[in-house]
Amino acid sequence: MGREGRTRRERPPAAAGRWSPNGWPGRLASILLLAAVYYMAARLSLRLSLIERNVTPLWPPTGIAVVAFLLLGRRVWPAIAVAAFVVNEPISTSWLAAAATAAGNTLAPFVAAELLRAVGLRTEIDRLRDAVAIVFLAALGSMLISASVGAGTLVASGAIPGRQFLSAWAVWWTGDAMGVLVVAPFLLSLLLFRQRSGMSWARRVEAATLFAGLTVLSLAVAHSKLHLLFVVLPFMGWAAWRFQQRGAAPAALLASGIATWAAARGLGPFAQGTLFGKMLTLQAFNATVAFTSFVFAAVVTERLRAREALERGAAELEGRVRRRTSELSEANEHLRREIAERKDAERRLRQREGQLSEAQQMARVGSWEWLMPDDRVAWSDEMYRIHGYAPREFPVSLDRAIELVVPEDLGGIRGRLAAALAAGTDHDLAPVEYRIVRPDGAQRVLRAKSRVTFGPNGRPLRMVGTVQDVTEDKRAEREHRISETLQRSLLPERLPDIPGVLLAARYVPATADVEVGGDWYDVVQLPNGEVGVAIGDVAGHGLRAASTMGQLRMALRAYALEDLSPAAVLGRLHHLVEKLLPNEMATLVYLVFDPESGSITFSNAGHPPPLMVGADGRGSYLEEALAPPLGAAGLAGEFVEWRSEIPPGGTLVLFTDGLVERRGVSLRRGLARLREAATAEPDLDALCQGLLTALVEGEVDDDIALLALRPVPLSRDRLHLRVPAEPQALAPLRRTLRRWLGGIDAEPQEAHDILVACGEACANAIQHPYGAGEGFVDIDLSMREDLVEIAVGDSGRWRPHSGTEGGRGLHVMEGLMDAVEVDSGPAGTVVRMRRRLRAGATHE
Amino acid sequence: MSELGRLEVNRDGGVCVLRILGEVDMSNASELLAAVGAAVPNDVPCVVVDLAETVYLDSAGVQVLFALAGRLHARRHQVSVVVPQDSPIRAVLELTGLSTVVPVRARMPPPDPTEPAGELDP
Repeated sequence: MGREGRTRRERPPAAAGRWSPNGWPGRLASILLLAAVYYMAARLSLRLSLIERNVTPLWPPTGIAVVAFLLLGRRVWPAIAVAAFVVNEPISTSWLAAAATAAGNTLAPFVAAELLRAVGLRTEIDRLRDAVAIVFLAALGSMLISASVGAGTLVASGAIPGRQFLSAWAVWWTGDAMGVLVVAPFLLSLLLFRQRSGMSWARRVEAATLFAGLTVLSLAVAHSKLHLLFVVLPFMGWAAWRFQQRGAAPAALLASGIATWAAARGLGPFAQGTLFGKMLTLQAFNATVAFTSFVFAAVVTERLRAREALERGAAELEGRVRRRTSELSEANEHLRREIAERKDAERRLRQREGQLSEAQQMARVGSWEWLMPDDRVAWSDEMYRIHGYAPREFPVSLDRAIELVVPEDLGGIRGRLAAALAAGTDHDLAPVEYRIVRPDGAQRVLRAKSRVTFGPNGRPLRMVGTVQDVTEDKRAEREHRISETLQRSLLPERLPDIPGVLLAARYVPATADVEVGGDWYDVVQLPNGEVGVAIGDVAGHGLRAASTMGQLRMALRAYALEDLSPAAVLGRLHHLVEKLLPNEMATLVYLVFDPESGSITFSNAGHPPPLMVGADGRGSYLEEALAPPLGAAGLAGEFVEWRSEIPPGGTLVLFTDGLVERRGVSLRRGLARLREAATAEPDLDALCQGLLTALVEGEVDDDIALLALRPVPLSRDRLHLRVPAEPQALAPLRRTLRRWLGGIDAEPQEAHDILVACGEACANAIQHPYGAGEGFVDIDLSMREDLVEIAVGDSGRWRPHSGTEGGRGLHVMEGLMDAVEVDSGPAGTVVRMRRRLRAGATHE
Repeated sequence: MSELGRLEVNRDGGVCVLRILGEVDMSNASELLAAVGAAVPNDVPCVVVDLAETVYLDSAGVQVLFALAGRLHARRHQVSVVVPQDSPIRAVLELTGLSTVVPVRARMPPPDPTEPAGELDP
């Protein structure tokens, strides 16, 4: 029991020299003090002697000497020896007898102390064996020596006759033994008082009561003639039981002292009887008292200690149990919490899995994972649904998954997979689209994203990915793309380059609407040199609106090119819609502009009115000539038209309702805002942008088409034209050329010659380098002083002459102009011509 | 025929007058040729192509005239072209040598169908 051994504060057995003060002066002082004490105790006890003057029934110095040897060590023997000699010298017959007696008195306690030390006496006398050792070894055993030496010396020295030896020896022996038995425990018990202080008041009162009672009782008994000495024994028991050695030893000393004193005085029970009887009574009493008290005390102490140890052990055990219990309950609580947390996590996980599955279902996104080391493939529920199966309907594997891919896309998928696995580094694969066939035969388009990760050894570890069913999206996207393409292709790719007319247009599709609208515009160069301008809006959205718009636009072009008036064009379009496009409705403004006069003629079928912006930036709407939309029920097809003109510096703005109609804003309010936003911005593109910025905030609710037109005077110094490389472009081109030639004061014949030369060059550019309907011809005319220079360029190569007409054309050019150069290179052919004006020279 | 140029055909006894009004360029030349070819009856000995009202005629138009002359000669018609002296298109006709295949006159000839067609130049 290491723990007990550690915690128990056990006094070590009394050791020789244990309390000896350091240094010889201290030692000398203690020896002198001890000698004085011994002497005084001896003198005191001699007064209690029963036989002669030197045999006392109680000899305390012996007890003092034993304790001195025990506590102070062997070296105190001179003090004992000297004191004993001094005590015995006066009462001995000779100094030699005194010395012998002193030697016996010194040797006996010395041996007693040595024996006690040898058996490991604890000075606390808290064990039975300590009590037994004191009684038998120290008191009864060792004192045989002093008694034998003392009694022998008495006889030898002639102090007593030989026949008295035995009684003297007995008295001596019992006296010394009693001295040890009564005094030694008392002295040792004083040490206990030294060590342990702090007695409770109740204990002190109890102790005082005990000793007071004992003293009174002892005295009473001592003075009583009755033999009642034994009644003090309960007090001994009380003292031993309640105070152990601290109570028992003093009590024993007290009772024995009183009894001895009574015996010496011949009081009470010792009044009568023989010396031997008195002696026997006293010694029996003293022995009983001493023995009872300190043996009992030792036993009680031992028991108490045992109980204390037991209690300590029990307390410690209890503490350990408590500690263990609390540890256990803590562990238990921890476990319980962990279980709860795990349950909670499981619940959350289940919930999250549910949510994920739901989200996947809603987004039509499935996810999969392929663990390469054990070649395991896992699909989410939605993956199964996407592939046309019930969730977990079959155990999926890579081969099984690939089997579902249509044969055309299989190669690509396998190739991608192989490339991804060979890459060796973690990466995201580019998204891919492929088709699968479901068990019911339906083909679906899937869009897959995936990621591959590699282990430290560079081997592929894991591949994860998502698969989205984009079949519907693809269909919608395709439809949207078609209608957008259709609409874009139906809107003019570029506005025609009409000399003297500035044009700008904008088309803004609705933000939110994935379907295209039916807004459109067109500018047509009419054969008579006028310009046809149209803007319209087909009701509805999507493919159908876009296709209606396309048909209307083509029809309008055809009718416009027949030189029909705006009202006539609208009338024909209305009939067309009625007959061929039933249930369709479209608004439209058609306007013919004459660049030479600046006049406009227009007709309006239910469309927002064109805005005329003056040179001062002020706007006004052309609200005349308004009729119901094309295709409207009950419309006779009779359209009126209105004639007006664009003032110098003015601009005409045509638009669709998307520009002015906002949610929560009336059309009137929208029109007013547009009028206010109009400015005399010189740059037409900037003007269009400015109007859009001013009127469109944030989301575009509806498609917006916007077209601006502004007549500008032709420059006399220079004219650049770009016309499509097609024969129909020649007549309008000539009109523009005529206007310009009229502006440079050329004589009619000169103007005509230049016109024909230009026509020939353009005809060559149209006829030779291009196939049908492609490319453009650039015509650049400049006038410096009286010299007209012309460059006609194309971006193709002239074909070898197919007949005589090409050669004839060149011949005509050369005949009409002063100089003609044909510069043919890989980038195209340029014909440069010069003609000096006679009239110009005279006019300048 | 398009709005660009117009053909008027007048028959006066043995003379068929083809009046070409407006402009002739590569965009309507072949159309014109076809129309002219169809407009001339087989039984008229004389065909006069009147270019007095023609405001524009380039080499494509001249080509029409050459072709027409060739075709009509083959059908034994007498062909002549009338261009006023002050017409701006006269320069082109002269430059292309039209007069080498058909007589080019400044005025309409008298209605005399007996005029020989001896200037045919194959």
